[in-house]
Amino acid sequence: MSQPALTADLCLKCNICTAACPVAAATDLFLGPKAVGPQAQRYRHPSLPLPDRSLAWCSGCGTCSRVCPHGVAVAEINIQAKARLAHETGIPLRDQFISRPDLLGRLGTPLAPLANLALGLAPVRWMMQRVLRIHREAPMPAFRTRTFRSLQRGHLLPRPQPDPGIGVVRVAYFHGCGTNYYEPELGGMALEVLERLGCEVSVPPQGCCGLPLQSNGLLDGARAYACANIRALAPFARAGYPIVGTSTSCTLSLKHDYRTILGLDGADADVLAENTYDFFEFLTLRLDDRLAALSLHELPARALYHPPCQLKAHAVGTPALAVLRRIPGLIIELSDSECCGVAGTYGLKEEKYTVARRVGSGLFDQAADGRYDFLISDSETCRWWMAGHTGLPVLHPLEVLARALA
Amino acid sequence: MKRVLVIGAGLTGLFAAAMAARRGAEVTLVTDGRGGLELSHGCIDLLTPPLSPETFGHLLPAHPYRRAGLERIREAMDLFREFLTEQGLTYFGSLEHNLALPSAAGGIRDTGLAPLAQATGALADAGTFHLASLAHFRDFSAAFAAQRLRQRGLPVGGVVELALPNLPPGRDLYATDLARLFDDREWREETIRSWRSPLTGIQRLGVPAVLGLTGAEAARTSAEEQLGVRLFEIPTLPPSVPGLRLERALRRTAQAAGAHLIEGAHATGLVEAASIGRVTGVVYVSAGGPRPQRAEAVILATGGALHGGLVFRSHGAVQESVFDLPVEHASERGGWTAESLFASQPYSRFGVIIGDDFRPVGPDGQPLFENLFAAGGLLGGCDRTAEGSRQGIDLVSAYCAVEEALT
Repeated sequence: MSQPALTADLCLKCNICTAACPVAAATDLFLGPKAVGPQAQRYRHPSLPLPDRSLAWCSGCGTCSRVCPHGVAVAEINIQAKARLAHETGIPLRDQFISRPDLLGRLGTPLAPLANLALGLAPVRWMMQRVLRIHREAPMPAFRTRTFRSLQRGHLLPRPQPDPGIGVVRVAYFHGCGTNYYEPELGGMALEVLERLGCEVSVPPQGCCGLPLQSNGLLDGARAYACANIRALAPFARAGYPIVGTSTSCTLSLKHDYRTILGLDGADADVLAENTYDFFEFLTLRLDDRLAALSLHELPARALYHPPCQLKAHAVGTPALAVLRRIPGLIIELSDSECCGVAGTYGLKEEKYTVARRVGSGLFDQAADGRYDFLISDSETCRWWMAGHTGLPVLHPLEVLARALA
Repeated sequence: MKRVLVIGAGLTGLFAAAMAARRGAEVTLVTDGRGGLELSHGCIDLLTPPLSPETFGHLLPAHPYRRAGLERIREAMDLFREFLTEQGLTYFGSLEHNLALPSAAGGIRDTGLAPLAQATGALADAGTFHLASLAHFRDFSAAFAAQRLRQRGLPVGGVVELALPNLPPGRDLYATDLARLFDDREWREETIRSWRSPLTGIQRLGVPAVLGLTGAEAARTSAEEQLGVRLFEIPTLPPSVPGLRLERALRRTAQAAGAHLIEGAHATGLVEAASIGRVTGVVYVSAGGPRPQRAEAVILATGGALHGGLVFRSHGAVQESVFDLPVEHASERGGWTAESLFASQPYSRFGVIIGDDFRPVGPDGQPLFENLFAAGGLLGGCDRTAEGSRQGIDLVSAYCAVEEALT
């Protein structure tokens, strides 16, 4: 399915995607996934200008592809077309900037106290909005003084090692930029939990997954990251290391976007895609017996779980929910909303912020009824966004599991 | 806890998942896209003319209703109404009498159960009624519907066009856009206020079905009070708001009862060859590749030809899409369709044949697998279109399949 555009012919115009689209529900500036996707695709000729500008409002959440009953790659068509539109209309400096979390991290980590102080000042955010058009109210994570990789040097592994033998499950951990620069303790928990379940965990060389660049229409830049990751990780996959990640949008890129949206085919891309797992997917699929043998402490609390769009696009359901529901005392309710709104970098943009906030308003209302001690979500950008708009702590499901295992 | 896997998330699959989860099963629902409910009028068509010992006796012996029996048909409807009432959607109607409802095209539609918002428009109710278009909403024309209903001798009092104040200028409105606006209490109350004077003297009014998505019944009742007019809804083109309300209510019921929903996942076949007449689960395609989903009982609810449960091949074969179960069909394409477009079509009777326990059977009438059950649009032995039994068969067969799967 490396040519999403060809699936446009499968569209019956049933509008199931339009009814489910969280952005079309929040603004009438967006014509909806069917209209800008399979419908407009017939008028997109490589040598002619794009017929439709409302496409720019698509947040790339992927809901449309997931709900389509006829196999139309609606979101993939739209993300590819959106990249063309971005090149036609010009990519703002801001988008070049916010789409490189690794670069931001490398700049921000050494200056963490200063950078965080500055980002906390209203005049700085006001200036950022004026100059860069990054909305001044958009929640942002804080830089950390140490990266995950610098804290876990002992686990870093440049190349696959010989098979350790029976009973040991070898795992290569993909941490992503969020964990490396902003939430290193999450990576520590991943190593700890996997090791408790009898895994030998390595952290191979890796870069940004490329998703932020892809979402901002910078497909060539995304491809460069993707190729580097494929080169670094395929040997691990081939040597029998499942690639397990705690950032559900990064793992989706490795599994799906590299091949389908960026068009990178070949044996290396395939072996990586087929051996990549989201953290809880891997737990339920490969380590469930071992997990069931561990005792979980009581965690008396009520939580609201919002599965991110990028997790739902894995098409594996909500494995974290299945695991966390085993924790005694913990009551988890499911979010009624399709999307939290942020969609990676979409909600940061001055012109998109209000729409993104409206997309998430149902979720924020549900969270605000005072019944929940904390919220749970698998994606870092969703967590930061939800925490900023609800004032409640938002945990990765792994943090909840780690508490119950502690 | 029995592990039950449901394949498909239309009316059949969602109802089956909700029921099985409520009865204590550990339910996983695998679906390739959302089901057809978003295209549906949201009513439950049971049979036309309605169920009676006589009409029941006329159905084919392999008809899902005959397999179920009248008692289980009644139980299925009761359970459905119970689930929907809990979600704030009251369904009105009975097995013995159909409701005749006006359609958006000015036709008359017979149905068994209808949400209260539509049932209020039953044509058997005494007195005239008016119809209203909503300004800028192109999917419903009161004048067109009224003209055709009058030709059928119905007492349409008149038509009005109602304004929608503070409407954001922009693209064409979908029914869902308006429904979301009506969910906003402030907008709704202001809109309804502006309708007071154009509706003076009108007792009963049909409007396109857009009066709210999440709090629909409350929206309609409060509008009725504000206006002093009985309001009823007429379903419009997809995306259909009454179908969406039903879809969401059932999904929520299933998920709240613990059903695990895996969306976007295409089921491709058995986990391993079922050598001993049992299935152990299915393989589905996820973003990363095939994944196994094991279960002790599987309920196949993938729908008919439109929804992917049955595949009609150009050379005359008709196949069941997940397990390649035998499908009763005419093997010559000439035998698929009737001469007249409006006659009962042979192809609509094609499908998987089940026994009394809702397990698919082979040509010898014996079950193919002891723990595989089938329900909904892929079943043969019935003609949903000609019988007016589409949603009734979905619910009844889902009910029976779950009951059998859990015994």
